[in-house]
Amino acid sequence: MQQGNGQTDEAETAVRLRGVDKNFGDVEALKDLSFDVATGKFFVLFGPSSVGKTTTLRAIAGLEKINAGKIELNGRDVADAPIRGRGVAMVFQSFALYPHLSVADNFAYPLKESGLPAAEIKQRIGETVEMLSLSHRTGNLPSTLSGGEQQRVALGRALIQRPNILLLDEPLTNLDAKLRHDMRAELKRLHRQFGMTIIYATPDELEALSMGEDIAVMEEGHVVQQGSPDELYETPDNLYVAAKIGSPHMNLLDVSVNEDGDGLQTPFGPLETKRPQVSGDEAIVMGIRPSDIRLARDAEPHLNLKVQLVEPLGDITVVSVDVAGSSLRLVLPEAGALGVKPGHELPIVIPPERVHLFRKADGTVVSTAM
Amino acid sequence: MLFRSNAKNQTREVDQAGWGRTFGATVVSLIYFFPVLIIIITAFKEHTDALAVPAKLFPDFLSFIVPEGLTFKPTFDNFVHVFSRSYSAGAAAQDTGFDRFFFNSIFIAGFSVLLALFIGTLAAFGFSRYPLKGNDTYLFVILTTRMLPAIVVIIPVMLMFRVTGLSGTYTGIILLYTAFNLPFTIWMMKSFFDELSPDVEDAARIDGSSERRVFFKICLPQVLAGLAATAVFGLILTWNEFLFALLLTGVETRTVPVAMSQTIGGDIGVRWGLLAAIETLFLIPVILVTFFLQNQLLRGVTFGTVKR
Repeated sequence: MQQGNGQTDEAETAVRLRGVDKNFGDVEALKDLSFDVATGKFFVLFGPSSVGKTTTLRAIAGLEKINAGKIELNGRDVADAPIRGRGVAMVFQSFALYPHLSVADNFAYPLKESGLPAAEIKQRIGETVEMLSLSHRTGNLPSTLSGGEQQRVALGRALIQRPNILLLDEPLTNLDAKLRHDMRAELKRLHRQFGMTIIYATPDELEALSMGEDIAVMEEGHVVQQGSPDELYETPDNLYVAAKIGSPHMNLLDVSVNEDGDGLQTPFGPLETKRPQVSGDEAIVMGIRPSDIRLARDAEPHLNLKVQLVEPLGDITVVSVDVAGSSLRLVLPEAGALGVKPGHELPIVIPPERVHLFRKADGTVVSTAM
Repeated sequence: MLFRSNAKNQTREVDQAGWGRTFGATVVSLIYFFPVLIIIITAFKEHTDALAVPAKLFPDFLSFIVPEGLTFKPTFDNFVHVFSRSYSAGAAAQDTGFDRFFFNSIFIAGFSVLLALFIGTLAAFGFSRYPLKGNDTYLFVILTTRMLPAIVVIIPVMLMFRVTGLSGTYTGIILLYTAFNLPFTIWMMKSFFDELSPDVEDAARIDGSSERRVFFKICLPQVLAGLAATAVFGLILTWNEFLFALLLTGVETRTVPVAMSQTIGGDIGVRWGLLAAIETLFLIPVILVTFFLQNQLLRGVTFGTVKR
């Protein structure tokens, strides 16, 4: 079923949304939302909170009726179909365990509801508690479990159904940092093991980039760009994606095109770039990744900029330098940052070929880095 | 048994308060319980002992530690007389009908509380999960039916009962008590349903449950404590109701509070021992129900403060 070429045709599209609108009273939660999820992919819906990620998942699961548009699961239009029989399982941010049922009964619940024979249920519970290391907890009520265990029960209750499509709504948000890290690896392992399609909603860029094979960046109820982590990082379609993806965040500076139209007028002086395809009076935002800025070698032409802030992060150090009143972040390897102190001047090179340009008015891309 | 305190999430043993506070709590409890104690003791006294001043508080088998004047000779006569006694000196003992009255009290209170619980829980779930336009107004209107003192509505209710022929029937008094229990049943159960996480219900829907099964398998088991608390509350109110029972029940459907009031009077004045015996018996069913539901009750009254 799965072919590695990233193209999606009918047969291998697990989830397809086309022009989906959803309103809550006067609030437009989803606006003309469209995306495809290839079968078997680890797909990430990324965006800050209240951008419509949860509503999207709930619409796919059938918990929300959509006002317009089309939702197809494995080629079947489900916009008006009941929740039951969609082959979808979901893990909620709040875990939503059944508080009055033991761990084993939580696992058994969806299987009983779908009418599996008792022997099959028993066997699957055995496999699931084994897989999630919950064997010693089967008799416990959810309130007596730790956060990590509750998380695993929530996950187990979804996996035990062997769903075609697994929806995960910020499943790691309520865990502490260490557990989050472990669970990221665990989720990827489970995805490899079961091969189901996963749609994973998260506001955490690190989670999105580290887990997603395919990422849709959402803004105000629609997808602004969909692509692999590399595509989003290297060729952001607009200012919003550029600003959201990548850590530390891309430096963004207001610039203008110079009179000849062959370069940029920037706060730190003129910058030769490929010819920007914009008129001279249009406001432009220049973006440059902190990791693309480097220190000058030898007598290379460079800018001398004053260091404002040094943030050592272990193997890399983030240095903020002053550019005509605003700051520019760059990333140095730990060794290269030794001895850099606020107040020092650094010889900075901004490679013109690594510069992204966006229209300030609507955020659309003019040109991306080469 | 362990209790979990909300603020610091620490567990405390029950006896942690120590002897001093336990003693203080005992004294306060005894003061509250004293009238009940007097009733129970009086139920075992002969007529003259019941009227004695100072009160004889101790049965005579404690006379080796209690002064002579303060003891009485316990007797079960009062309890026998509740059900069967002679109405004039020298006459043969007659059946008083109190077995019927006790049955009436239990049947009427039990039936109407369960009926109110059934209807009220469904209504509360509706108000909580499928709010109407002007939901709060409806809830308020429901509550206003309980704001009027019984004495205000008694005349229209009596007229309605007479016209419809409900006067003196089980159906009539049960319907009336159900209507009385419904408002607070709805309000209490709604607050319990409001506390539940909607995600849990959505999880059940995705797991394949119909709305009906979401209610019965997921929501209802989570509010068992609320059901228990509401049931006991309703039971106590209904059990003790006097005014409507006096005016709307007949000979066949009379409840204990009404029958008890009618034992006052007669040739030897108020028979305090007999009254106390009736009251003592009357206490038992409520105490039993409360006792069997106490674990649920404890969770019921602390619901929302202990969770989360």
